[in-house]
Amino acid sequence: MAGIDVAVTGIGLVTPGGIGVEPSWARVRSGHSTAAFDPVLESNPVRISCRVPGFDADVLLGARRALRLDPFVRFALVAAREALADAGLDPHTWDGARVGVVLGNGDGGPGTVEAQHRVLLHNGPGRVSPLLLPMQLPNMLAGQAAIEFGATGPNLVVSTACASGTTAVGVARDLLALDRCDVVLTGGSESMITPLAMAGFAQMGALSRREDDPTVASRPFDADRDGFVAGEGAGILVLERLQDARARGATVRGRIVGYGASADAHHMTSPHPRGAGIESAVRAALADAGAGVGDVQHVNAHGTSTPLNDLAEAAMLKRTLTGDPLVTSTKGVTGHLLGAAGAVEAVLTVLTVEHGLVPPTANLTNPDPGIDIKVADSETPMPIDLALSNSCGFGGQNAVLAIAAA
Amino acid sequence: MFEQFKNLLVHKLKVSPDLITPEATREDIELDSLAVVELSLMLESELGVTISDDELLEAATVGDMVALMEERGAKI
Repeated sequence: MAGIDVAVTGIGLVTPGGIGVEPSWARVRSGHSTAAFDPVLESNPVRISCRVPGFDADVLLGARRALRLDPFVRFALVAAREALADAGLDPHTWDGARVGVVLGNGDGGPGTVEAQHRVLLHNGPGRVSPLLLPMQLPNMLAGQAAIEFGATGPNLVVSTACASGTTAVGVARDLLALDRCDVVLTGGSESMITPLAMAGFAQMGALSRREDDPTVASRPFDADRDGFVAGEGAGILVLERLQDARARGATVRGRIVGYGASADAHHMTSPHPRGAGIESAVRAALADAGAGVGDVQHVNAHGTSTPLNDLAEAAMLKRTLTGDPLVTSTKGVTGHLLGAAGAVEAVLTVLTVEHGLVPPTANLTNPDPGIDIKVADSETPMPIDLALSNSCGFGGQNAVLAIAAA
Repeated sequence: MFEQFKNLLVHKLKVSPDLITPEATREDIELDSLAVVELSLMLESELGVTISDDELLEAATVGDMVALMEERGAKI
C-alpha cells in the first residue's frame, strides 16, 4: 500500500474527558487524570475507572433508539455523528454503496450479557430478552452504524483486543487503497467497565490498585506504575483518499500514511519482553509510509501504565527509532479504553500533529530509570511531520499507524 | 386496560404516546418482531397476563391487543 495517501477529513470522540473532540482534547492537554471511584464496581477488588461523564443516551440518540443499543454502540454512534459533521458529509446525499464501515471492539456488550445472565438465573430462559444477542454482538457496532448512516459498502468489526481501534483504521486504509470504498467510517468503541469484566482484569493483575488516590493511579512510564485504569468511549475517523478529499474541497485534518501489524506469537497476555512484535509493526508502518527510522518526531505510545508493557515498549522505541522522538501516553488522562484505545489515540495523534502540541503524560512524577526514552511530562509545542500511534493487544496482536500533517 | 397497555408501551418500550391509539397497527407504533417478544414478556411480568408473541403478531391493532388482554382477565 506504500504511496497511498489517505486523508482524515472528520474526527469524533466520546471519552472520559468529555463528549466531543473539544472537551476530550482539552482534558488530555490538561494532563489531569479522569480516574475516579466507580460505584458500579463497589463489590470488586478494584473500584476505580475512567467513565464518560454526563452521557445521556436518551437525549443524544432518542429513547427508542437508545433502548436497543448497548453502550459500546451508543458511544460510537455519537462520535460518528460528530466525525461526519466535521467531514462535511451528508449521509442523505452520499452513494452509500461506496461508504464502508470498519470499527474495532474487544468485548461487545458484556453489560448486556451480565444483566441477561442474571435474568436467566433468577427468572429462567423464558424471560431472557430477545434483544440479548442483537445488542451484545461485537459486529453490531458496524451494523448499527450502517443503519444509522445508510452506509451499504463493506461493513466489519475487527477484534484485536486493545489494538482493535488501530487495526480498524489500518484496515480502513487498505479498503481505500484497494478502491473498495470512497469513504470509510472507522475507529473503535468499548464499554466493558462491568463487574465481571473488571474482576477478570483484576484477577490477572492488570489493574492499578491505587484506590487511595485514583487520580494518580494511571501513570505511564513512571517508576511507581502498578497497572492500568479501565476507560470507556469511542473514537471515530472519516477517511478518504487524499485526492478525493481535495477534489471535494474537504478540510484535511491529517493523513494516515502508513499502517503496520504483527503478532508476538509469545504469550496470551504478556507482551514480548523486548517488544519484538511491536517493533515489527513499527517497521512495517514506516515502510508503508516510505519513511525511515529517523523520521519520527512523536509517538503516542500504547503506554498502559503496566510494569511490563511500558518497559518493553520503551526498550523497543529506544532500539528502533533513531530520531529521539518525544513520546507521550494519553492513557494517563483517559485511562485505557481497551478496544477503543487505538481509535481514540489515532484521533488524539491527528490533533497533536495538526496543532503541533504534544500532550503531557499524566502523573509522570518519578520517571522509571530503566526507561531511556524522551517522555513528555508537560504539554510541548513542536512542529511534527510524522508521528506514530502504537497499540498492543492481548494475544500478542500489535498495530501501528503512521500519521502525518495535512 | 387501554391506558395500562399504553403506559407499558410508553415507559418500557419508549413508544411515542402520540402514536398509540386503538386503531394503530404494529407498524404505526414501530413494533418489530423483537419488540413483540419483549411486549409479551412484559405483559406477563408487569401485568400478569399471558399472551404469546405469536398471538400478539396476529392482532391487527392496538385495540385488538387490548381485547386479548381483557379476554385473559388481567390483574389490574
